[in-house]
Amino acid sequence: MNYQNEPHGVFFLIDNKSFYASVEAVARGWNPLKVSLVVMSEADNTNGGLVLATSPEAKKQYHLQANVSRAREVPQDPQLVVVPPRMNLYIKRNLQINDIFRRFVANEDLLPYSIDESILDLTHSWRLFGQTPREVAVRIQKTVRRELGLYTTVGIGDNPLQAKLALDLYAKHDADLIGEIHYETVPQKIWTVDKLTAIWGIADRTAAHLNRLGIHNMYELAHVDPYQLNGEMGLIGQQLFAMAWGIDRAQLNQRRGPKHASLGNSQVLPRDYVQQKEIETVIKEVGEQVASRLRHHHQQAACVSLGIGFSYAASAEDGRGGFHQEMRIAPTDQNAEIVAAIIQLFRRNWQGQTVRNIAVYTSRLCAATGLQLNFFEPAKTQLKRVKADHVVDAIRDRFGFTRLVYASSLQRGGTAINRASLVGGHNGGNAYE
Amino acid sequence: MNNDLKLITERLDAGFKRLPQTRYQVQITDDPYDKTYNFFLNYQHRGRRLKSQPLHAVSQYQLTYLEQLIKGLREHTQLSFEFVGFTGQRWPSNQRLIQGRRYKDE
Repeated sequence: MNYQNEPHGVFFLIDNKSFYASVEAVARGWNPLKVSLVVMSEADNTNGGLVLATSPEAKKQYHLQANVSRAREVPQDPQLVVVPPRMNLYIKRNLQINDIFRRFVANEDLLPYSIDESILDLTHSWRLFGQTPREVAVRIQKTVRRELGLYTTVGIGDNPLQAKLALDLYAKHDADLIGEIHYETVPQKIWTVDKLTAIWGIADRTAAHLNRLGIHNMYELAHVDPYQLNGEMGLIGQQLFAMAWGIDRAQLNQRRGPKHASLGNSQVLPRDYVQQKEIETVIKEVGEQVASRLRHHHQQAACVSLGIGFSYAASAEDGRGGFHQEMRIAPTDQNAEIVAAIIQLFRRNWQGQTVRNIAVYTSRLCAATGLQLNFFEPAKTQLKRVKADHVVDAIRDRFGFTRLVYASSLQRGGTAINRASLVGGHNGGNAYE
Repeated sequence: MNNDLKLITERLDAGFKRLPQTRYQVQITDDPYDKTYNFFLNYQHRGRRLKSQPLHAVSQYQLTYLEQLIKGLREHTQLSFEFVGFTGQRWPSNQRLIQGRRYKDE
């Protein structure tokens, strides 16, 4: 393979070793690698508790999965520490870590990839900080450890894909917490992987599809006829083939936004909801939350969608897990109109099944530049209604969500008040810190 | 000061449920990275997992202030305190060591 025309750079993919668990350990003065600690969310919809993060020591001792283990799988061992999550703290740490990275790369060469992973393009700047990329990686690791107490793992590659694979396959098991893949080492480092699902972007379904084509490991994937793969799997086939050869032509500083933005919220309910009124209360709350977010982003939505997930028993009976419907509306960011549309969707599709999951999404967004008046109401009434939504938003921004809630949220089944302090569905942490 | 003490005692009282066969302890950590003193309520039922509930982070990073705060807290509660990350540091008023020995997982 001639890699001459492929982009050659120095890319780091840096992630935090058991991020949430490490942050909690450091806050308690413990070494993140030595202590056995799990971060467990015990919100009322987690059915006893959900493990969000596990420290490396706890993973080793109790063979716990990295995340989303259930509370019942965690042993009652006196050596083990269980702590509640503090999402706001993790967001703060993530921002601090990215600030440290910005000392090593320009802002446009840094791409935060998730709450604990960032991609750094050090092609232009690594020479300022060391003799070899590996030396720079050690320096970044030491800086983060010294200033925040956290351990980071670094994947190094000639392009972002190689860095990601180096991180997932090698850095996490390396004593220095650094892994490297380059074009020259692709055969040794990537083709030797026997388990397809170990590779980023290949999960059970893709692996099963590849197995059907007679591909069982990365070597076979790299030596398949790419035209045949393309014929079978389309663009994804091409992508997988490129991945097996360690090829990635992405340019980090040319960001591509999403083609069509959408905005929405979903939640798992704390118990089975059977009554129409209770379900509609929650749908209304979620709809209002989404509408409020639209207004904060100065956007209007021309399409709303409602997703309902049934409880296990109901989906076994019904034969489907739930339903998902969408509907075009006149562009709006108002509570009443969005809620009316999703309630209509709900009533049209729901046939009495017990519900456990509710999702409301809006799409076809456009900038909120004005209000489309209609002929059927006096203009004043329409303007007043719009203003009411904005005033409620302003009060909540200033004093907090729970200071002003709709009476329907106080009815049986309402979840908005309990969920107000959650961040990403989990406990945000104590106020005033 | 009063606000810090108030927040800590309020959250402590809310978390201290006096469950039987359960050991309650207040953990105070010196966090040199954030320059704060972090307070936690640790409790453990006999033979079960240790639970650690965050109470507050005090941002006034001075031992004299912490000493006052601890004094106020001692008046409020009889729970034992566990200091972590203070090895080598002494209380300003009487020069006693805050934390005797380093813990093995510090």
